[in-house]
Amino acid sequence: MKHSFLKYLVFFSIMLTTMTALAQTNTITGIIKDNTGMPIPGANVLIKNTTNGVQTDFDGKFAIKAKPEDVLVVSFIGMKTTEIKVNNQKSINVKLEEEGAKLEEVVVVGYGTRKKKDLTGSIVSVGAKEIESRPVQNAVQAMQGKAAGVDIGSNERPGTVGNINIRGSRSIAAFNSPLYVVDGIPLNSRASTDSDGKVSQVGGSIDFINPSDIESIDVLKDASATAIYGSRGANGVIIVTTKKGKNGKFTINYDTAVTTEKIHEFAPLMNAGEYIELRRWARYYSNPAAFAPGNAPTIANDRTIFLDTADPAAWANIEKGWATGTWDGSKVSTTDWTKFVTQTGVTQQHTLSVSGGSEKMKAYGSFGYLENTGTLKGQGFKRYNGAVNIDITPTKWFSMGANLNTSYAVNEYGLSNAGRSAVASSDGIYVTARQNLPYAVPLDANGQRIQNPGGDSTIRNVYEEYKYSQDQRVTLRAFGSFYGQLDFGGFSSKLDGLKYRVNFGPDITSYRNGAFLNGLSSARSGTSFALLAKNQTISYTLDNLILYNKTIGKHDFGVTLLQSKTQYSNEENSMQAENIKNVENKWNALTKENVTLNGYSSNITETGLFSYMGRLTYGYDDKYLLTASLRYDSASQLAKINRRDQFTSASLAWRIDKEDFLQNISWLNALKLRAGYGVTGNAAVPAYETQPPLGQVLYSTSAGVLTNLKLPNSELGWEKTTQYNYGVDFGVFNNRISGSLEYYTSKTKDLLLLRSIPTVTGFDKTLANIGKTEGNGVELTLNTINVKTTDFEWSSSLSASWQKSRIVELQNGKQDDILNNRFIGYSPGIIYGFESNGIWRPEDAEEMAKFNAAAGSTIFVFGNARPVDQNGDYKIDANNDRVVLGSTEPKFITGLTNTFNYKNIELSIFIYGRMGYLYDVGGENLSGKTSQRQVDYYTDINTDAEYQRPFYSAGTGDIYNPTLGYKNGSFLKIRNISLGYNFEQDLVEKLGLSRLRIYLQAANPGMIFSKVKWVDLDTRTTYSNRGFTLGLNVQF
Amino acid sequence: MIIATLGLSSSCSEDFLDEKLTTGYNPGYLKTEEGIQALSVGTYYQVFALDMNREVPLTANESGTDEFHVGGDPSNGLWNSYASGFGSFVTVSNSNTVAANTNWDNLYIGIGNANQLIESATAIVSTNDAIKKIALGEGYFMRAYNYLKLVRQYGGVPLNLKTSNVVQLEFTRASVEDVLKQIIADFTQAYSLLSNTGGPNKITKDAAAHYLAKAYLTRASEINDAWNSATKSADLQQVVTLSDEVISRHALAPNYVNLWDFKAADGANEKLSELILSADFNSNQLTTGGNQQHLYFLSTYDQLPQMIRNTAGGRPFSRLAPTYFTYDIYDKVNDSRFWKSFQTKSIVNNRASGSIYVNGDLGIMYIMNSPSDTRFAKTRNDGTIVYAKTGKVIPSVFVAYAADNFGLMKDVRFPSLSKYMDGSRLDFNATKGSRDVILARSAETYLMAAEAKIRLAKLGTGSYSDALSYINTVRNRGAYKAGEDRAAYTDGSAAWTTAVQGGRASSFIAENSYYESNNITTPITTATNLTIASISALPAADLAVITKLGYSSDYDRMLCLVLNERTRELCGEFHRWEDLSRTKTLIARAKAYNPDASPNIKDFHNIRPIPQTFLDGIYTNGRPLTAAEKQAMQNPNY
Repeated sequence: MKHSFLKYLVFFSIMLTTMTALAQTNTITGIIKDNTGMPIPGANVLIKNTTNGVQTDFDGKFAIKAKPEDVLVVSFIGMKTTEIKVNNQKSINVKLEEEGAKLEEVVVVGYGTRKKKDLTGSIVSVGAKEIESRPVQNAVQAMQGKAAGVDIGSNERPGTVGNINIRGSRSIAAFNSPLYVVDGIPLNSRASTDSDGKVSQVGGSIDFINPSDIESIDVLKDASATAIYGSRGANGVIIVTTKKGKNGKFTINYDTAVTTEKIHEFAPLMNAGEYIELRRWARYYSNPAAFAPGNAPTIANDRTIFLDTADPAAWANIEKGWATGTWDGSKVSTTDWTKFVTQTGVTQQHTLSVSGGSEKMKAYGSFGYLENTGTLKGQGFKRYNGAVNIDITPTKWFSMGANLNTSYAVNEYGLSNAGRSAVASSDGIYVTARQNLPYAVPLDANGQRIQNPGGDSTIRNVYEEYKYSQDQRVTLRAFGSFYGQLDFGGFSSKLDGLKYRVNFGPDITSYRNGAFLNGLSSARSGTSFALLAKNQTISYTLDNLILYNKTIGKHDFGVTLLQSKTQYSNEENSMQAENIKNVENKWNALTKENVTLNGYSSNITETGLFSYMGRLTYGYDDKYLLTASLRYDSASQLAKINRRDQFTSASLAWRIDKEDFLQNISWLNALKLRAGYGVTGNAAVPAYETQPPLGQVLYSTSAGVLTNLKLPNSELGWEKTTQYNYGVDFGVFNNRISGSLEYYTSKTKDLLLLRSIPTVTGFDKTLANIGKTEGNGVELTLNTINVKTTDFEWSSSLSASWQKSRIVELQNGKQDDILNNRFIGYSPGIIYGFESNGIWRPEDAEEMAKFNAAAGSTIFVFGNARPVDQNGDYKIDANNDRVVLGSTEPKFITGLTNTFNYKNIELSIFIYGRMGYLYDVGGENLSGKTSQRQVDYYTDINTDAEYQRPFYSAGTGDIYNPTLGYKNGSFLKIRNISLGYNFEQDLVEKLGLSRLRIYLQAANPGMIFSKVKWVDLDTRTTYSNRGFTLGLNVQF
Repeated sequence: MIIATLGLSSSCSEDFLDEKLTTGYNPGYLKTEEGIQALSVGTYYQVFALDMNREVPLTANESGTDEFHVGGDPSNGLWNSYASGFGSFVTVSNSNTVAANTNWDNLYIGIGNANQLIESATAIVSTNDAIKKIALGEGYFMRAYNYLKLVRQYGGVPLNLKTSNVVQLEFTRASVEDVLKQIIADFTQAYSLLSNTGGPNKITKDAAAHYLAKAYLTRASEINDAWNSATKSADLQQVVTLSDEVISRHALAPNYVNLWDFKAADGANEKLSELILSADFNSNQLTTGGNQQHLYFLSTYDQLPQMIRNTAGGRPFSRLAPTYFTYDIYDKVNDSRFWKSFQTKSIVNNRASGSIYVNGDLGIMYIMNSPSDTRFAKTRNDGTIVYAKTGKVIPSVFVAYAADNFGLMKDVRFPSLSKYMDGSRLDFNATKGSRDVILARSAETYLMAAEAKIRLAKLGTGSYSDALSYINTVRNRGAYKAGEDRAAYTDGSAAWTTAVQGGRASSFIAENSYYESNNITTPITTATNLTIASISALPAADLAVITKLGYSSDYDRMLCLVLNERTRELCGEFHRWEDLSRTKTLIARAKAYNPDASPNIKDFHNIRPIPQTFLDGIYTNGRPLTAAEKQAMQNPNY
């Protein structure tokens, strides 16, 4: 795709300055094709050592007059230049070989494009072909594992996007999400603070774009590249270019895929018999006087333990185990509660697109439809996409274009958290289902739904829950990118290369959330609930650009000047009520006649950004390349005195392979050294932070105000990151091995830090520019062609990164901040607490006695979790025994794709892993109150157990049980395997098509290794979706 | 055209970057009279109402005392047991666990707002009494109110009397003496600035007098005996003078049940003359927070046969159950207060199909008998005891004293403290309650005066019997009146007026187990008399406690009586832990009566641990504290 785009680009630039070939003795004709047999339009055919040349036409045909002794030089960008002696041939057909690897690609760098070989910064690209190769619901998924240093999480919920993190996290309080730029327009977003003070990004993602409409995704990683976006570049920039019409024949493409998925559970639950025994032990240990040990049950005990009268249906099941008078747990049937909430998820995707154009007008249009029924009942996602793109060049001196991307999405979110009463789990229907007791049953003897199976009022029945709750989110988004460009070269050749361009990018989102919970819902308790929330976002970016490019001899100059203005406005309102009389109303009739509202609100947030930018590029003889930029940004959410700041960058590249002394080394195809420096900013703090408003309460019948819990900071300024990047790009052995290796260091200062402060001040938090962090990392991108024969090719693509970040300074210099869990020399994400020493076993009696003696009471018994006494005083206390246990940030992240091509068959396997970090899986409560996954727990008859002894409780049970939950989180996972088949060209043409591809994919087939077997460490849940996709790409 | 317009319209002015907050008030609002009054309202919320939304009041003042122990749900069990997870961190059991710093943080945030209120009301150029006297007086009151809680819970704490504009990190603990001095000064200011209008939902002069008396009494209590000798006598005289003044204007409600007879939000029981100060709640679903105290003292009646959770019965969080100290301290024949504070009967509201019951039959009964009662073999009696009125057996009957000696503390069923029950909630799981919470009423003022008299007697001023007139006034209000129906019962459940809600009938019955418990068959309608005639003729229940705790001096016996009387009168009203800690009787009483606390509680538990979050967050000499310095700042042994 990329190549053909280039072909056209070059073709037209040459067409504009075309010269008529001089008359020669013979006319030679021929067709130039690429190695797939596709004709190459716009290829150069030149007679060697002359200026006589022609270009091929749309069908790759050329005609040139030449003498027999002439040598034709056939060249095309991205292809190996080939020389052919004319001799007496009248017709010469040439097949150009690709120049291999990816060094010739065009890369979008922000406010322009550059050839990849001329890049000075660190940029990775994902092209349409790679996006198409496996079906994805959104463009973010398409990038997974493709770019070293870009860590993209998985998100299982339909219609949502995984978390994305470029080169680790630098900022502590401000968010670390990258900036997205679509067709030149940065997407605006809003920072929002949750009740814990954590700042997150609202909006600004690219989930609304149909992945099939994407031509390329370019990720700017280092600051020398991202500084062009100044204040918004600190977390990396992801530039999305959508498909444009192409010169030539109109094509129609149809892509479709069907996916089926099921939930795979990694942590099986105890069956009824096993669980009943656990609860008996738990009751025994919490009150040995009243209950028998778990291995010596009595029916009288069981009646109390299992609330015989509260749920007779569950008790009837347990009684089956007592049928013979002696306990037999295998007689009790087990209810699999998850089966009531799960289903096979089916996703179908269709995209129909049309593309084509002439010299003066190019157009692209597409319509996409995605429908997903989730793996959980009641969840689903539907999205309609419409995209249209037109570029018009009516004269030599003026061109304009319009690009409009619209999407309409309906997300059925399943069980609503809004309106949830405190008894229901906030983790959604699947977790609620898993909490249900294995011996309890959903329906009583009369077929009525039991509200609290097992008789425990905190456990809610999930049977047919999807009938009783709905949370529907509808998003309509229209994003446009419009430009007009004056090409002064069209007026006078003296002004060649000088252009003025205006970009205008409006972005409008309308969002509606309607939630309704019937009184019978597991999240409610008798009364119904309805919520209606609407949200409207309008923003725009307006850029004025002056571009100038000039080549004088071996000197290439480029200048870009920018003035840019952005305004963002978000308006929201919501209302909610309980006791909806007519359940048919849902959220649609919240009128004064029907309900009394128990909550309503409206709000507006407005932000603005104003910028100037200048960039200079210089190249000498294609060998020495320089880029430098300077940007000024002013952001409204910072203090007026500090809101403007400057962001500089400079980067250099040296194409050593162009040097004479390397010309004779045949195995070296490309070698480039790069070094860059850049300063980027982060102002990702919510609006109005410099003067937070007074808190408001309604007490009794009066409206009252309170001082904001956050101490205002009227001097809030930019968080700035300075980054140095060193890279080498290489291609060797005929480009069989190519890639790049990068090393970077980054230093962030004036951290926007939300810190807890002693409440004695009257405040609990403040946001301030304090502290420093440092990070460094190594990234390797390696593309290898391991085996290549006529019919078979095995290639690998590896992206691997190693990263480390640490806090250098905090509010008071090099002082740890225990209160905020921040430690000098450690990464911002760490676990601090008591270290685990396993559990207390009978053989530890002597040691355990010392702890109990020191405390003067029994603080430990056998089977309790055993924390490490760091200072050896036989007391476990917060001041002396808590330590930093490890970092939660992965040190290594790797993605490996192996692709095997045999004739028209392509098999691709994608492996992804994160390694070297501590993950808090959570201890096991073992309180025997809700269901329990299968674990090896301590009892009097099983003292060599992994987990502590059970203790019946509504809460945690053993107070040190969390110490048993800190685990190494390393894993390596097969995210997907796909098998594709390109139908033979002959067959395809017979069908009246120009291309036909079919593929099959398996998603999440399994783990290669995982340090925690019962958790999918990728999704960080005990379950994830597994499924198959069947897809078809058709081109007419 | 479009492009040209766009190009030109992009102005170079950066004015559009100036933020204008139009959706909230900025701090400049506090320079207006309206803003100061709004801040006063907000501070009322923070200081009086916020805590009532969660479990802070019960963990701070009821758990781990002689009155209550864990009632089945140990989400906050550590506050009762003082076990090893209780310290500068309180090990989190679940999201309902009250952290070690929750109360501390809420109190200091309240102080921050009170400081702002005092500063704003002082700074404004105004002669408006509503600002200069009332708002200012309220500011001083609320600051002192929170510091009084802090000093009673934690001992000496940092004193911060100014609003902060910059991040302050260097704090040290002031002495208990200095903190109390500040509290007394602030309450005195409030006393002189405020008038007596608007109570009990507004802070009045009498409220200031009541709490000023409480501050003096605190200073004169045992926990401060190491240094309070110089002020003790004068302080106690002040307690008597101030209490007398408050009592003169706040007559006791005629019947103890008047206080708990909640029929609707802002009803008659919330406007009684006895009330001095209440946290204000109402039925508006839109108010911030809400009173959730109705959740915590209830037994899980809904898991018993023939029963289902309902709005009148309440949502039983089952956090606290009474101890046998509480059960036995009442004279259950003559003192009506037990029967007006606890629910002992519920009716069937979920009859099982095919059973002999109809909704409305007696479903649960607690027999609160005496140890000498030999009628019952078993504590739990399922469907064996006949209800005289219907002749049907009662599905569940629990007996306080039965031959099996199992008792009401080993399982999760107990008579529920009914003082907070709220049948006006939206549904049976609704947590938002609309009842006011009584913070101060004159019955407590009487008992403070009585205690001061006892303490003065010990110092040689007056005699111990001087206390009796105060105590007897309170006791006799709790006696049965002539003609009173002793089986009659009511509580806030009765506010539930809808017959069937969410398909569920009510479990409330306007009847108690007085006759069944006391084994009296013929109804009595004579009046009772609870007067204690002389200090040598203390009631039997008090003598039992005196014996168990080994008291012999007149002072110890009389202080014991006052503390017992406080239980009878004020049980569950969030005073107990501080009263016991203040009088240094906490350890002995918890050991004697609270089986969960008994193995763990030690002398150092008389004050709470300083929260680790505070120790971790503060600095000294520009650096955080070392482990040793933190330990030194912590209360001993935590």
